[in-house]
Amino acid sequence: MKKILMAAGLTTLMMGTTAMAELQIGVSVARFDDNGLTVMRNGMTAFDDASDEVSLQMEDATDDVAKQLDQINNFIASGVDAIIVNAVDTNATEAMSNAAATAGVPLVYVNRQPINMATLPEGQAFVASNEIESGTLAAFQMCRQLRAEGKAGGARAYVLVGQLSNQAAVQRTKDFHDVIGMDMCNFITIIDEQTANWSRDEANDLMTNWLSSGDEFDAVFGNNDEMALGAIQAMKASGISMDDVVVGGVDATSDALLAMSVGDMDVTVFQDLAGQGAGSIETAMALVNGEAVDKAVFIPFKLVTPENLADFQ
Amino acid sequence: MSDGSEGTGGLTFDKSKRSWPNELNVLGALILIIIIFEVLGAIFMQQSLLFDTRDRFDSIFNEARLRIIIIQVAIIGIIALGVTQVIITAGIDLSSGSVVGATAMIAMSFAQVAEVNGAMNPKAIFGPSFLDLPVVIPIIVGLTVGTLAGAINGLLVAYARIPPFIATLGMMLFARGVAQWWSLGNPVSFPTESYAKIGAGMMPVIIFLSLAVLFHFIMNYTVYGKHTYAIGSNEAAARMSGINVPRHLMLVYMIAGGLAGLAAVILTSKNLTAQSGMGLSYELEAIAMAVIGGVSLFGGRGSIIGTVIGALIIGVITSGFTFLRLGAFYQEMVLGCIIVGAVALDQWQQQRAASRS
Repeated sequence: MKKILMAAGLTTLMMGTTAMAELQIGVSVARFDDNGLTVMRNGMTAFDDASDEVSLQMEDATDDVAKQLDQINNFIASGVDAIIVNAVDTNATEAMSNAAATAGVPLVYVNRQPINMATLPEGQAFVASNEIESGTLAAFQMCRQLRAEGKAGGARAYVLVGQLSNQAAVQRTKDFHDVIGMDMCNFITIIDEQTANWSRDEANDLMTNWLSSGDEFDAVFGNNDEMALGAIQAMKASGISMDDVVVGGVDATSDALLAMSVGDMDVTVFQDLAGQGAGSIETAMALVNGEAVDKAVFIPFKLVTPENLADFQ
Repeated sequence: MSDGSEGTGGLTFDKSKRSWPNELNVLGALILIIIIFEVLGAIFMQQSLLFDTRDRFDSIFNEARLRIIIIQVAIIGIIALGVTQVIITAGIDLSSGSVVGATAMIAMSFAQVAEVNGAMNPKAIFGPSFLDLPVVIPIIVGLTVGTLAGAINGLLVAYARIPPFIATLGMMLFARGVAQWWSLGNPVSFPTESYAKIGAGMMPVIIFLSLAVLFHFIMNYTVYGKHTYAIGSNEAAARMSGINVPRHLMLVYMIAGGLAGLAAVILTSKNLTAQSGMGLSYELEAIAMAVIGGVSLFGGRGSIIGTVIGALIIGVITSGFTFLRLGAFYQEMVLGCIIVGAVALDQWQQQRAASRS
């Protein structure tokens, strides 16, 4: 009897220690059904599966700022070792930082740059890309391409905006405005900019509406690849040749890269999302173990054109 | 009979007491909205919404615009045909959009093409034996998933006696979860060519209008239609007169689910992709189309023709906003006002007609 009890006791102890060695990390992702963020999420899940030091608990904030703060408070209450946040709105990160700092839980921001990055408390860091780069890279490349095609006398563009409540949509559209405000690119005028809510179908219908008015145009800029692809579908259905229009997007999804390889799409921008996801977990682990970390890790966006397309496929 | 406060269902039945059919009111609203956009267009844009002022087409109409007005509402219109029947039974279906999302993911997984640009399809969900399947398979899968979701809704509403709002709300959340879980949030793209033909060009419109004609006939000239209106007007009386109410409600919800599934098939075919976020808010737009078309949320009143005109109204407004280049931020606000305005106008007409009788 004593032997059985001893054996049982030892096994529980051993199980206990192995469980304690695995770090519990709570992850709040802005939305699960976004293509780009899914790539990031998959990268993190792959890391989790490959590693026995870390156990991730993923939550979907469904684009709801308040819900995300609740999730973080829930994580703190359940006693996680660290928290990783993919902010729904980067302007709302201060409240989240405060909650984690008060509870003494390390927090890492991933993919979206927090507004309080200069004043992040101890035990917090971010691994992100600068959203200003994405729109600017795409817009500038489109400007160069229009010049190369001899349209420097005047070019007209449509802009497909993402969800209006989304910071990425606002920023990327602003980037486009900023670029065409520059001397080198101010030959471009915007005919109209409307929202297609990141959706391929809405962009398809919106582009068809624009085409029905019969206005001449030279370029179409979508805040993301999905909308750019929808616009391409609409233009092709109306018999417009993709050689006559410069189309740009952001994300470098596999559908977009395929469209680029057949000559439909001209510009897109790549984010190393899987790398960001894995990097954020490593940073979180380092923070828990008390190691020295860089507070700010910027992963740059990369411009993708037919010339360097092969690198990304 | 003269109490016009709630659901003038009795009034609708007795056609002799009405001065003109309700659908004419909705048609009048459509024509009024078109006139408003034409006037605003002439003033601000020096162009016409519907007519070909730039001489780009053979006919006097701007054909491209007429086409987009109806194409952009055709898919949700199909959902609205089913939702109309549900609301006429005094129920509601909040799950349509999520069912579209779930069906989109599942049906598209069976429509995968084997080779993409010379290489193996990178997005294939199932193994090689599930690629390049005959197009009838994803269509059947889509209809089955949609009808199954509708059947679950029907079971909950008709047999478990759960209020339709709660039952379909639950399905809305559950189906969205299924949509995301199916491929862990990853989109599914690259369908076969024959699948892509389903939603290409004017096909969504052809399918929408054919189904509208079919359901108009069913609702007005068959026993099923009469029973649907009866249950909506007065469920207790309907049961007392021998109608098998639970079984009928099951059927109504299954049809609504099946139509949502069909809408998903057409949507994924048109866009050549399935995303787990597809169909978001479609249920609200479908309900808006039905309500603008004269369907009463209290049940017993409404028609398929009204819903089709309601869909056209939303189409005209959407295209009208882009035509006028109305700022993106104002569109939602104006759309909200128009929807409430259209329904308020219709309600007022009904009150007047009821008090006059």
